[in-house]
Amino acid sequence: MASRSGPLNDDEVISETSKMVAFIKQEAQEKAREIKVKADEEFSVEKAKLVRQETAAIDASFEKKRKGAETSIKIEHSTATNRARLRILAAREQHLHTLFEEARKQVVLIAQQDEKKYGELLEGLILEGLLRFLEPDVLVTCRPSDVSACEAASKRASEKYSQISGRSATIKVDGSLPKDNAGGIALSAGSGGRITIHNTLDERLTLLEDSMLPEIRTDLFGKSENRKFYT
Amino acid sequence: MSSQSQSIQTLLDAEKEAAKVVQQARQYRTQRLKDARSEADKEIADYRKQKDEEFKRFEAERSGSTQSVQTSIDKDTELKIAAINEAFEKNREAVVKKLLERVVEVHPEMHRNITKVT
Repeated sequence: MASRSGPLNDDEVISETSKMVAFIKQEAQEKAREIKVKADEEFSVEKAKLVRQETAAIDASFEKKRKGAETSIKIEHSTATNRARLRILAAREQHLHTLFEEARKQVVLIAQQDEKKYGELLEGLILEGLLRFLEPDVLVTCRPSDVSACEAASKRASEKYSQISGRSATIKVDGSLPKDNAGGIALSAGSGGRITIHNTLDERLTLLEDSMLPEIRTDLFGKSENRKFYT
Repeated sequence: MSSQSQSIQTLLDAEKEAAKVVQQARQYRTQRLKDARSEADKEIADYRKQKDEEFKRFEAERSGSTQSVQTSIDKDTELKIAAINEAFEKNREAVVKKLLERVVEVHPEMHRNITKVT
């Protein structure tokens, strides 16, 4: 710019004005460009951030869903296996039940088949009772039809009892067991008959049903495949 | 001097134009931010749809396998039950006999701690 003092003439004014206008325009465009560039940057950053955030959240929720589905499948499998096992156990239980019913039906026959054997049985049952009690006065209860057999058996039992234990016992026989009972005896002793022993055939069968279970299991269904320990 | 006021007017006009340009740029910026949001939403929606389909396929596979497992378990169980029934029929008589034998088996014994009275 020519430096000279003094007011400018018209041409100079116009030229200076144009320069200033140009300058203003240029500055504005530069500023606008800056703003636009920054805007584009921010656009990318913001968009990427939003996408990243949300997709991470979506991934997490689907992962959870997947795990949930897997767990529920495992649960289903386990329930199915369990149900199958229970079905098998129920089948076995049913068979045991049938078996015990059959045994109970046949128990009645014991008393009817062989009189001599039944008499020996009664003797053994009474002796068992006496040796348990070790009491001097014993009451033997039997079916009305067994009274005479019982009285004979009691005499023999009482003798054997004295031989084995060195003690003596007086036995009273009473025929008050219900007559549709399968057989056997009940004994009572102690002041006022406070101790009782149920040695009836029914009772013995019931006890056996319980104590023979392991043996019955192996006899019926074979040894257990999974069991590792036997005492 | 009218030329002076003319110049000044020209400058003022130039400033106004400049301000407009900058203002447009600012509007562009605002629009860009909105675009960021809407484009992101679209991408996210697409992603979600894709994941959804993936998951549905996964589920369909799995449910198929559960069915087949169930059937195989059932078949297995039927076999086992049939075997049990067979074994039962084979052995029931012997076991009932054993039970009844034990019912009449009596072992009258004195307790081992009791001594015989002489």
